[in-house]
Amino acid sequence: MKVAIIAANGGLFDAYKVFNIATAAAATDGEVEIFFTFEGLNLIHRQGMNALPMPEGKEHFAEGFQKANVPSIGELVAMSQELGVKFIACQMTMDVMGLQKEDFVDGTEVGGAVTFLGSAKDADMTLTF
Amino acid sequence: MYNVTRTLDAKGLSCPMPVVRTKKAMEDLAPGEVLEVIVTDRGSIADLPMWAKTTGQEYLELIEENGVLTHYIKKGSAPEKGETTEMKTITNEEYLEVAGQDGVTLIDVREPDEFEAGHAPGAVNIPLGQIDDRLAEIPETGDVYVICRSGGRAGRAYEALEAAGRDNVTRVAPGMGDWDGPVE
Repeated sequence: MKVAIIAANGGLFDAYKVFNIATAAAATDGEVEIFFTFEGLNLIHRQGMNALPMPEGKEHFAEGFQKANVPSIGELVAMSQELGVKFIACQMTMDVMGLQKEDFVDGTEVGGAVTFLGSAKDADMTLTF
Repeated sequence: MYNVTRTLDAKGLSCPMPVVRTKKAMEDLAPGEVLEVIVTDRGSIADLPMWAKTTGQEYLELIEENGVLTHYIKKGSAPEKGETTEMKTITNEEYLEVAGQDGVTLIDVREPDEFEAGHAPGAVNIPLGQIDDRLAEIPETGDVYVICRSGGRAGRAYEALEAAGRDNVTRVAPGMGDWDGPVE
């Protein structure tokens, strides 16, 4: 099973959607690649990923996250990498936002749209968050 | 009760951690060994059986007590990922070209009454349900073909033989339901 994911949004909820599916797929013997673009780059930004915003007006969910003992985004990122999930940061967005490869977690690769399309063309499913 | 090789305590963890931890724990087990997974995540009731099915493990049982869920999963001997092979299949017509040649065996896996009502010349009748018990009658060398009425049971027979380590099996489809060849 090959899964290609586009992460294009940078909120806390977006991060959970992306990394929960990614780790679950990788733990189920899936080959997973995530293309981070636009605000999605926040999800693998060394500092940014630890301070992802809740959607406006949903801040009260913070307590629920704690109560449900949901892993932190940092933990999910580490877990994803350990399970072999491949991270691709979008070069064009990095240029626009003035970001360097070093701003992202170790192991992140940089590529363009064709890099993603190349891996998505033979994926069994492509998900966009 | 199961003969548990290893216990994984993942109580208090929420999705996707029970699945992730289960995968990691399972890596250390040998095929046939049983992993006990203790969780409180109710998503695991559906997730772990599906995980087991997808990754080729045998899901044994769920025991629920006071909100604590204990799953029993037996490590499967499924091929490593990437090694799954396509089912070798030929058409009725292709089979008729090799029928009768040296080393060719045709196993008809339909029920005896269906077989008696008409079967291909030289076919051996081993109903699907008896395949595992009658493995010795199926040659390990040469080319073994499995056939049924419409291809379904032959497919299951193929899988059973493949699981038994046989690599000389080919399915004939659609099968006797659409047979233009000679009949005995």
